[in-house]
Amino acid sequence: MPIEVLLVEDSPGDVRLTQEAFRDANPSIHMHVASDGVEAMAFLRREGNHAHAPRPELILLDLNLPKMDGREVLAHIKEDANLKTIPTVILTTSEAEADIVKSYQLQANCYLSKPVQLDAFEALVKSINDFWLTKVKLPQQRQNG
Amino acid sequence: MKTKSPIRGQLQLAFGSAVLALLLVGAVSYRSLVESRESDRWVRHSHEVLESLQDLLAAMHTVESNARGYLLTGDESFLDAYRAGIARTEKDQTVVRNLTADNTAQQRRLDALATLAVQKFRLVEKVLGLQRTNGLEAATGAIQQGSGKQLMDDFQKVIGEMQDEELRLLALREADAKRRLAQTKIVLIVGTLLGLLITSVAGWSVQRDNSARAQAEEAMREGEERFRTLANNIPQLAWMADEKGYTFWYNDRWFDYTGTTLEEMAGWGWQKVHDPNHVKRVVEKISRCFQTGEVWDDTFPLRGRDGKYRLFLSRAVPIRDPNGRILRWFGTNTDISESKDSGAKYRGLLEAAPDAMVVVDQSGEIVLLNVQAEKQFGYSRDELLGQKVKNIIPEGFAERLIADGTRSAAEALAQQIGTGIELIARRKDGTEFPIEIMLSPLESAEGTLVTAAIRDISVRRAAEKHLAQMEGRYRGLLEAAPDAMVVVNPAGEIVLLNVQAEKQFGYQRDELVGQKVKNIIPEGFAERLIADGTRSAAEALAQQIGTGIELIGRRKNRSAFPIEIMLSPLESAEGTLVTAAIRDISVRKIAEKHLAQMEGRYRGLLEAAPDAMVVVNQSGAIVLLNVQAEKQFGYSRDELVGQKVKNIIPEGFAERLVSDALRSVEDALAQQIGTGIELNGKRKNGTEFPIEIMLSPLESAEGILVTAAVRDITARKQAEANLLNKVEELNRSNEELGQFAYIASHDLQEPLRMVASYTQLLSRRYKGKLDSDADEFIAFAVDGASRMQRLIQDLLAYSRVGTKGRDMVEVSSEEALQQALINLRGAIEEKGALVTHDSLPSVIADDMQLIQLFQNLVGNAIKYQSSDVPRVHITAVRSGANKWTFSVKDNGLGIDPQYFEKIFGMFQRLHKREEFAGTGIGLAICKKIVERHGGNISVESEPGRGSTFRFALAESQVKG
Repeated sequence: MPIEVLLVEDSPGDVRLTQEAFRDANPSIHMHVASDGVEAMAFLRREGNHAHAPRPELILLDLNLPKMDGREVLAHIKEDANLKTIPTVILTTSEAEADIVKSYQLQANCYLSKPVQLDAFEALVKSINDFWLTKVKLPQQRQNG
Repeated sequence: MKTKSPIRGQLQLAFGSAVLALLLVGAVSYRSLVESRESDRWVRHSHEVLESLQDLLAAMHTVESNARGYLLTGDESFLDAYRAGIARTEKDQTVVRNLTADNTAQQRRLDALATLAVQKFRLVEKVLGLQRTNGLEAATGAIQQGSGKQLMDDFQKVIGEMQDEELRLLALREADAKRRLAQTKIVLIVGTLLGLLITSVAGWSVQRDNSARAQAEEAMREGEERFRTLANNIPQLAWMADEKGYTFWYNDRWFDYTGTTLEEMAGWGWQKVHDPNHVKRVVEKISRCFQTGEVWDDTFPLRGRDGKYRLFLSRAVPIRDPNGRILRWFGTNTDISESKDSGAKYRGLLEAAPDAMVVVDQSGEIVLLNVQAEKQFGYSRDELLGQKVKNIIPEGFAERLIADGTRSAAEALAQQIGTGIELIARRKDGTEFPIEIMLSPLESAEGTLVTAAIRDISVRRAAEKHLAQMEGRYRGLLEAAPDAMVVVNPAGEIVLLNVQAEKQFGYQRDELVGQKVKNIIPEGFAERLIADGTRSAAEALAQQIGTGIELIGRRKNRSAFPIEIMLSPLESAEGTLVTAAIRDISVRKIAEKHLAQMEGRYRGLLEAAPDAMVVVNQSGAIVLLNVQAEKQFGYSRDELVGQKVKNIIPEGFAERLVSDALRSVEDALAQQIGTGIELNGKRKNGTEFPIEIMLSPLESAEGILVTAAVRDITARKQAEANLLNKVEELNRSNEELGQFAYIASHDLQEPLRMVASYTQLLSRRYKGKLDSDADEFIAFAVDGASRMQRLIQDLLAYSRVGTKGRDMVEVSSEEALQQALINLRGAIEEKGALVTHDSLPSVIADDMQLIQLFQNLVGNAIKYQSSDVPRVHITAVRSGANKWTFSVKDNGLGIDPQYFEKIFGMFQRLHKREEFAGTGIGLAICKKIVERHGGNISVESEPGRGSTFRFALAESQVKG
């Protein structure tokens, strides 16, 4: 049974690198990609092309996005009673304190900054998998709303 | 008579004494007269007693003889005589008893007489009875055997005693009377002689006095004669009166004019030729003069022989003797009735008057007027003559001419004389205008006329109104003036002044208004208002306008002080007024004096000073300044001396001279001495400029003066401002640069991460699967990417020191070091380094940066090593107040001193990359961190002998 993960990331290089890293970490992960905030919300709310999109078990959210940035997306998710139970992990290159504070205020589940070194990045992805997709206990009901 | 000549006194005394002597003589004579009459009475009395006693004896004999006759004859007629004899004895006894009532001895004897008489009578009766009853014999026998004869003898004896007594008394009284008479004679003779003597002496002296007086009277009579001759030839009517005012002489003119005689006129008869309306007043006045001795002046009409009255001006003076006693009055009456000549003169005078003149009689009719009056009222002379004055002055004039119940016309008028009365006049065309009239009485043959000088005061009224308006407008201006202001009219009288003038001269406003300006400025001001022979007042004034004139002012307390006045003309309804701005230049004058004294000593010094120098006294007035000060403030010296320093340094200087509640002047000043105070100066043209002043005290006779060196710091301020701008600019550009470095390094990191990640991925997945060249190329790409990543991360770290710094807080440097060592654990273990430290203090720092600092320094110390066991020791020593100097000492490679500076620069490396990896930013970051903490970093080293890096940090203020 595949593990559904939504990656919200506009940089194709990063998308690929992340996909590569997760594939190495856990082959059963089925990663969906939204390249901007609007698409991310459409996917989560199963709108338009995403009518049949699965409910992800984890959202990986970059902050700097076109159209609707990661902070807005986070806000929408956490305001939505149906979506807010999905763990949302901020994965970004920003190390700005303001971004960190803001994200937690918007009830991000955790804030991770992308390491520069590939090794470090792969280690991080591995730990995300270990923690969020393996150890964490999440609500069982899958609302298909 | 109050005064007595000595002769008169003596004379009185002499006459008094004579009268007294005569009185004495009279009194003595009278007394002797009275006494001698008394003596006579007593002598007469004694004789009476003697006679009465004789009578009594005779009566007794009669009784006896008649009793015998009857006995012998029996004739009844003897019996009758006998009985009458008894009655006589009784009567005589009574007489004697009364006469001797005052003599008890005689009374006693009288009693004895009475008893003897009774016994005798009883015996005779008995005999007579016997004769009737028993006949003659019995009776004769009884007589013979009886005691009849004895009784009679006794009786005679007592009578004799009494007569003797009376005779003795008589002799005594006669002697007494004789003695008195002799005394009286002596008194009379002496008294008379004395009286005669005194009287003759007095008479002699009177004789002498009288002859002197006769001479004087003769002289006077001659003088009077001459005088009368003279007086008869003067044109006036003349008279003479005695000291009581009794007129005894008139000159011929008097009689010629009045047609009277001396008989009619003598004494107070002159009243007959006076006007009955005036005579009472005249008599009252002259009587008063006669009493007091004052000179008499009066004007009144006198009736001439033709029955017409003419007006006379009269005057009388007392003529006194050398003792001041009034002897005579001499008076003259001068005819001042309008003659043809005097009328013309009077007319001329009237016409020459600048005012309208109207002469009015007591019925209020106009009797005379001048051209001005015609003009002013718009009537021709003929229209006005004989008219009621009410027609031209409806109210207030005519009323004043008329006596009311309580006052005579003269009195009513007297109250008005000489005072300007403001009324309303009416022109012929009915228009009204304000006037001021001055009344004066004019005695004339027709009674008292009233001359009214009438002045049209429309202009003045308008001017007054105008002035009132002006005052409102200018008063504010006047009061606002910093100087004393006094406005003076052409007569030199003060018409307006301000509060400063009151203060300066010490007067109240009311005391000065209307006063001569000379009272406050005795010389040099009033003169300037007055035209002289060559210039008009306006010209005289014009020459003075705007120039400061130095004069002396005088305060109410008479103290004088130097002033400078500036005059300016002020056109007004009252003519050209002069406004004088008066400035007290005492301080300036003192300063000038002081300056003169000080000049020798200080002038050179002062002028040599490169700065503007201003010397100020404690009241803040400038007493001295130098050329630089003149230049700097744009004033000439004279304009500044005496001025308040506030005028050139508006704030911050004068205040420093003044003591407040907490500090004395000296203390206040002491705090300022020697410190440069930055203030603003103000030039004459009003522009301000920054100055720095340095104050220093200067002891002087006037107390402590303050010398202020004033430096124009415009240029410095400009430079400072420029510098500040530059610094700001630099800061901004630095910040921008920091921002740029951060953004650049951050943004560079993204693509670099891609490059690095994918080259690494490439190397990992395809190493050995391509040819050896490809493997080598990939290895270079991976190495370059990672070096670039380190470089960018160090750059980021460096830029973060400036842009991402945290607040300075109290930090334990030991804990910071521990954290750094934890971060360096890998390197330390790898190299087997030995890192030690002393106990380290708490400091004020950004903790993250402090960790970074230790981490970089210790990291370097471990890194640049050749020995087997790298040793690093960290210490901290106190260096000066609140400072700690940290040392990080190693046993590493050491550094050549020529590179000491270089190593702290960006990207500076001393070693090849093959020897030691690194970006050359580590020490630059250290330097930046230390500098951000307000210190600096240095190194001490020798190649091969290790290095010691030192930096200082501020000690934490919190102890413990």
